Amino acid sequence: MTSISCHKQSNEVVVYTSVDQLFSEPILKAFERESGIKVRAIYDTEETKSTGVLNRLLAEKENPQCDVFWSGDPMRVIVLKNEDISAPFHSDIADDISQVYKDADGYWIGFSARARVLIYNKKVLNEVDVPQSIFDLSNEKYKGNFAIANPLFGTTTFHFAALFSSLGNEKAKQFLADLKNNDVVIATSNGDVKKRVMNGEIACGLTDTDDAFEAMKESDEVGMLFLDQKGMGSLIMPNTVSLIANAPHIANAKRLMNYILSKETEAKLAVSCAQMPLHKGVKTPEGISSLDHIVPMEIDYDRSSIKLEEIQKYLKEWVEN
Amino acid sequence: MIELKNIYHSYGSEAVLTDLSLQLEAQKIHCLLGSSGSGKTTILRLIAGLEVPQKGMVSNGGITLTGDAEILIPADRRKIGFVFQDLALWPHLSVYKNIAFGLEEQKADRIKEKVFEILHHFDLEEFAGKYPHQLSGGQQQLVAIARSLVLKPDVLLMDEPLANLDVKLKRKMLAHIKKLKQDFNLTMIYVTHDHREAFSIADRVIVLNDGRIEAMGSLDEIKKSENEFVKYFLEY
Amino acid sequence: MGRKLVKQPLFTIVYLSFVLMIVAPIVYTIGTAFFSEKIGVELTQAFQGRTIFLLLKSSLIAAIIAFFSTIIGTFLGFLLYKTKIPFQGFFKVSLLIPLLISPYIFAVAWKDIFLFFFRDSTILPSYLTCILVMIIVFSPLAMLITGSAFMHINKQFEESALMVTSFRKMILKVILPLIKPSLISSFVLIFIFSISEFSVPALFGVKVFTTEIFTQFSAFYNHSMAILQSLLLILICVFLLYAERKHLADLPFLSIGSKGSSSKIYVLKKGEFFSLSFLFLWLSVSMIFPVTILFIQSFKNGVGAFIQAFDLMMPTFIDSIALSFVAALLIVFVGFVAAFSASNKPDLRMGKSFNYLLLFVFAVPSTILGISLIKFYNQPGLEMIYTTYAIILIAFVGKFSFIAAKIIGDALKGYPKSLDEAARIAGATFSIRIRKILIPMILPVLFLAFMVAFIFSLGDLGTSIMLYPPGTELMPIKVFTIMANAPQDLINSMTLIVFLTTLILIIGLYMIAKLMIRKYNCAYD
Repeated sequence: MTSISCHKQSNEVVVYTSVDQLFSEPILKAFERESGIKVRAIYDTEETKSTGVLNRLLAEKENPQCDVFWSGDPMRVIVLKNEDISAPFHSDIADDISQVYKDADGYWIGFSARARVLIYNKKVLNEVDVPQSIFDLSNEKYKGNFAIANPLFGTTTFHFAALFSSLGNEKAKQFLADLKNNDVVIATSNGDVKKRVMNGEIACGLTDTDDAFEAMKESDEVGMLFLDQKGMGSLIMPNTVSLIANAPHIANAKRLMNYILSKETEAKLAVSCAQMPLHKGVKTPEGISSLDHIVPMEIDYDRSSIKLEEIQKYLKEWVEN
Repeated sequence: MIELKNIYHSYGSEAVLTDLSLQLEAQKIHCLLGSSGSGKTTILRLIAGLEVPQKGMVSNGGITLTGDAEILIPADRRKIGFVFQDLALWPHLSVYKNIAFGLEEQKADRIKEKVFEILHHFDLEEFAGKYPHQLSGGQQQLVAIARSLVLKPDVLLMDEPLANLDVKLKRKMLAHIKKLKQDFNLTMIYVTHDHREAFSIADRVIVLNDGRIEAMGSLDEIKKSENEFVKYFLEY
Repeated sequence: MGRKLVKQPLFTIVYLSFVLMIVAPIVYTIGTAFFSEKIGVELTQAFQGRTIFLLLKSSLIAAIIAFFSTIIGTFLGFLLYKTKIPFQGFFKVSLLIPLLISPYIFAVAWKDIFLFFFRDSTILPSYLTCILVMIIVFSPLAMLITGSAFMHINKQFEESALMVTSFRKMILKVILPLIKPSLISSFVLIFIFSISEFSVPALFGVKVFTTEIFTQFSAFYNHSMAILQSLLLILICVFLLYAERKHLADLPFLSIGSKGSSSKIYVLKKGEFFSLSFLFLWLSVSMIFPVTILFIQSFKNGVGAFIQAFDLMMPTFIDSIALSFVAALLIVFVGFVAAFSASNKPDLRMGKSFNYLLLFVFAVPSTILGISLIKFYNQPGLEMIYTTYAIILIAFVGKFSFIAAKIIGDALKGYPKSLDEAARIAGATFSIRIRKILIPMILPVLFLAFMVAFIFSLGDLGTSIMLYPPGTELMPIKVFTIMANAPQDLINSMTLIVFLTTLILIIGLYMIAKLMIRKYNCAYD
């Protein structure tokens, strides 16, 4: 049996990531090859399959084992900041990334973004009938025929928090009530939304760009659309990296973070999972969206994270009733 | 009369009875005597309908019970009682329920009457509510016999029923058993490896060795038998 | 009491180790929840009417699943272990398959089957679908437990009943009562598994109590609230065990004869066609349809996905198999000590309490177990445990020893004390009596407990994902971490590989066990 014994050696770094292993692992392995630093990673499952790496970080607070936390969105990292589990870090490499995509105090830095999009089944929904705005989903013609992932978990939570932040509580609650009245199907996860649309069980659903591109790779019957391009715009969700406070291998942690934040990594993630670079001048493959061509939702990520904590109880009741 | 004709029976590849034929007269106590592995218990089980011989026939009073490797009349309809070597008293049932088990088709008061009748015969009324593990060895023995007799069988089969009892109790039980023939009008087939036990109750003795009948007859005939095996067996 | 403990050194060591290494961390974690700032509010919320109602609803669903799983599993166990039915060996292995596939993946396969045949994955009401899927998943467990019990009935009990009554009545009035401990064990185990499961109900949109706990952990990161709610779950499970103990306490269950566990096998004549039909039907529902859909989806684009899946899974094989093997050995050992102490040393109160502690840990949700062990072992100086597979071994022993203790305990209930007493009188020491008398007599049951522990350890996700050391890879974790955004054919290929690997291992273990047990065959004839 492979035995992993105590390793406080200098030549390794421990990273916990909630980014899908299919995409994050090649980056980490590349770093390992190029730097000679051994990377020991913990990967995460989809939100509703297990309780996630964040709970592990919280439990390990008194004696951190992790050096770097690589998250798929900027939402949960506020929990780490509030619990004093993460530490501020400045990276020169990320200087050209807009301040919008970074924590003001340096507790997280954003890169390689996904967006919230609509995917639809071309056989079930004609092109002319595809919703153009998220508010179209309350239209009766989509009744019971569209899905969102459980808004208590994952990026859907963040999407709703951003809506509340952008629209204000009253309008956002009305919108959610309209969705419920229109028999919105609540799937277990973005992957579940993707699968249902691919199978033709439902006409359309909200998910993330990486899920959408995977769906389009697997099936010609799936299309994707950025909603509200003539309105409030689509939610952009950068990946984030955070340095863990009292990390066992600080020097290596910083090296890894700089590597992850590099243009080369963004280029790779653009290819592997259609993530949109936040660095300027990163070449993206054909067919992959670029932030230059998308109208983003204008939000403050930190305020949205705070808003999330405020609305959680409401979201729970909304899901259950 | 119980008849076994040209019985061949094996367990797997090991033949236990080879071309065995046997007639057992009614209302007599027949003892199957022999050492372990001689086939005594197998004969009992064939008569009871718990085993099917690969060849041969078992009948009682002219009615074929088992033939052509098939049980024609199942065990519970042969009017045969069986006292097992381990007694096989159901541990989760009281004495009353152990005895009443086979009477379920009847009305409750009839069941009660029959059970207490048999309990009375064996002086066991006070143990009706007890469980087997709460009884002594001798009491368990009597309950096992009572259970096998409550349905008024014509034939009673007993497989080394006294194997686990002390000498004094054995003597007492043998007297009980001998009386059963008269009290219940039974044909009894009693299996033992102890010739003293056999001689104390049997009307007829069948001596078995390796699945074959070495000798068969009355007590006197057996004692005077010239068969080498029988002589050797009786010596010890 | 102190003198008694010293006289039972092995029991004392195992008991104290279990308490200190597993129970104490959990109790500490639960205890700290009561010191949270918002304890007053949280207690009110945790015990509010809505929550209690949800708990009762979940208990009812779990009870229905446990009840029907036990009935179906018992029927299957009877057919496969008490009758001479054709293709018995094949059925015994293939009907175990639902146990070897994650319940979530099994549920997804069934959703896909409905979609394939009816173009609608929601053709049945969601509650019904959820319950049916869980029954199919857990029936094999009941089949194993009751099958083992069937094999250990003294055939003379059956034969003495057959002398006076029909076959059907003998089953109802003799066999079923004699295997009552196993029936109840099966019900209790499946109940606890069902009530703890949340990913399958979530897939079908069925809200259950465990979803509440999970939401507190994963959405609100409110550990103290989640822990308080878990207490309700634990209380229900402990109450269930207490009720079982009370009900079975004074009933004697001597089922193994002094000649050993000779089991009577029946030849079905009229019933054979019906029985075979039922077996094939159940096989279709539990194995053929789900596995076929997995195959179809794995290979719909050729073998590329399967090859890729194999490459992804290969690094996990050795660690997963070795870890599960060692875990199963430890689990059976602890389960044996607990079961033996409860059956053999009733005067030792700690013997009885050991089984309650095993149940307590079994009923604790995986996340709480994980968090408790993290907080306890993530200390300077304990790296040899926390940063190695040792932490997962501890978690598995905690999580699954109850199952082993239950299975072994039921067998010990029917074990004649006279066999041990005879050896004692002959001068055999305690260790010799255990090694040369008891263990050979219950070897098939020990193997069953080992196999069940192995299957559960190999397939565990909930506990191991909280604790697996960085840089290591285990099979079920790999499947679920890759699953997040992998193509369908890749996911299904990975699932197939896990299932085939487990199946091959089970068959291999079964064959090894047969060789070992053959040595003691005279005990079972």
